[in-house]
Amino acid sequence: MTGPRPEGAHAAPAGPTGPTGPTGLRRAMGLRTATSTSTGLAFAALQYLAAAGLVTYVAGDSAWISILVAGLLALLAWGYFGELNGMFPTAAAIRRYMAQAMDDRVALSITFTYLGTIVLVVAADAFVVGAALTHVLHVPTWLTAVWTLALLGLAVASNLRGVKVAGWVQEVATVIVLAATMVVSVVALTRAGTALHTPLQPFHHNSGTNFIESVALGIFLYSAFEWVTTSAEEVRKPEHIHRAMFLAVCILFVVCAVMTTAMGHLLSHGQLVSAYPQLYLGERAFGAAGLWVMAGITAVTAVNTFNGGFITASRFVYATAREGSLPPFLARLNDRAVPWVPVVGLGAASFLVAVVVEVVGGSSWEVLVAMGAALEGMIYAVAAYCVLRLRGRLPDHHRPFRVPLVRVLAIVGMVVFGVLGLVASVSVSNRFDPLPLAIIVVTGGLSALYTVRQVPRLRAAEAARRAATGRRRPARAPGTSPTPTEGPPAPAPTEPPAPVVP
Amino acid sequence: MADVDEITEAYADWQVRCNGNRRLAKMLRGWDRVVHLVASDTGDGFTVTVAGSVLADLVPGLVGQPDLVVTATSEDFADLFWGDLNPSEKYVSGDIVLAGSSEDVLRLDAMSMVAFLDQ
Repeated sequence: MTGPRPEGAHAAPAGPTGPTGPTGLRRAMGLRTATSTSTGLAFAALQYLAAAGLVTYVAGDSAWISILVAGLLALLAWGYFGELNGMFPTAAAIRRYMAQAMDDRVALSITFTYLGTIVLVVAADAFVVGAALTHVLHVPTWLTAVWTLALLGLAVASNLRGVKVAGWVQEVATVIVLAATMVVSVVALTRAGTALHTPLQPFHHNSGTNFIESVALGIFLYSAFEWVTTSAEEVRKPEHIHRAMFLAVCILFVVCAVMTTAMGHLLSHGQLVSAYPQLYLGERAFGAAGLWVMAGITAVTAVNTFNGGFITASRFVYATAREGSLPPFLARLNDRAVPWVPVVGLGAASFLVAVVVEVVGGSSWEVLVAMGAALEGMIYAVAAYCVLRLRGRLPDHHRPFRVPLVRVLAIVGMVVFGVLGLVASVSVSNRFDPLPLAIIVVTGGLSALYTVRQVPRLRAAEAARRAATGRRRPARAPGTSPTPTEGPPAPAPTEPPAPVVP
Repeated sequence: MADVDEITEAYADWQVRCNGNRRLAKMLRGWDRVVHLVASDTGDGFTVTVAGSVLADLVPGLVGQPDLVVTATSEDFADLFWGDLNPSEKYVSGDIVLAGSSEDVLRLDAMSMVAFLDQ
């Protein structure tokens, strides 16, 4: 079966992304789209609530200082993800660098727990948009569940039909949300007609612990900016991802700082801890029209969150199932090649969480914010650990971007993000509440149990199926170079596809 | 290392399987793409074109502007086309490198899976 090479078959030696590289792709993502993706993924409707909640921890209009500190810490995380993304420019990066840096079972457990963040954010966003609609329409609160179901149903249906929001739509949505939030915040501040009360006194009537809690919450305002790394294979230039994340952190700082300053300056405590503080801000800026504008803007945030959340989570679950670490039925595809089980599962889980939040009532959504902040702190600490660990384990690996002073900055990151994550997990509404921590521990425990007990069984079953199926590739003729077909049954790297029934 | 003929033969088998699969024809509806395959060990390049839910013959060399670039060893390409390899596993381990949108990557993986469901 060997033979002469046909004319023209030879290609240039392949680099990390092939000979043509990402720049040669017909459809490639530019820096602008990458930046809007990174910013849009981070700026969910829940961000309004987190920003308002942060204001309650520090002295009113000095909340921007907490956001600045959180932003500087986010830049630390940007350094970690920049180095890791440069080493593994792939959508599967998180699996690759964690598997290289630690035991695969630990890596899988952390990854599954982290995946829970997406469910939380999607659920919380659906609830926030639903609550905002209920408020502006002056209808009974139970209708929030109906809006939530309608929104999630729409997101699930469009995902199942393979609808993906085009890059330009995502860009427009992000620009509208950020610009409107800025305009509303600035106009509201201007109309207040008074100077800021305590712009440089975050500790005024507050303790140092409160400030730490506000920074922990501030981290959440930047969370998910790193999800753009899953687009590493489709950017025009590899460095676009790194630059986009940096620009996103800067943009988020400016918007969130102005927004929290306005909220802290103008809104009452009751408005700040409501499920729609952004509506009150809009009202302060433009009256009733502002209320409607901000309700519309809140709904637009769902475009990015649902699009990014559903696609990221469902494709990750699909890939993990195909890899053999989740049950094969999770890799079932519909006729539009969409992994429908994870999409429906994510929609159902998000709806369940949103309904629980509504039924429990009060500020129960703040538990979701606290969990999100805690899980982000955890994943940033893990990223810092991976950077440090891989410097030792893979010293010669190509690194287009390197974290300077890595020993110091990685250890600082592990400690700071670890502490902030812990603080966030036991703080709800400016008081001690271990519920978020308890939920995270239970979720993490179940993930670990699944990884230790079920994953080996899945892999053993797949190995048995593989051994029974045999190989299709014909053996080479004698005298030609050996292939695996002439040896024993296929080893792990050359196994057949998983037995899924799409 | 698998040479060009081996990869071509493996692809021909895969092409027949894919084009004869009605389920896959539905999945590929509207998915007209140019895929470049690059063998990292031999330097060989190939072009696969999908149009109207039909896979065209394998063309030696890198022709046209691709939507997706797949880089793997020649052995992995041969195994993949014979259905003896799970591309997802190779992808996660970094042995198969891709450049292109996640939707195109998923569609390609679907092809490799659905074509061998009877196994």
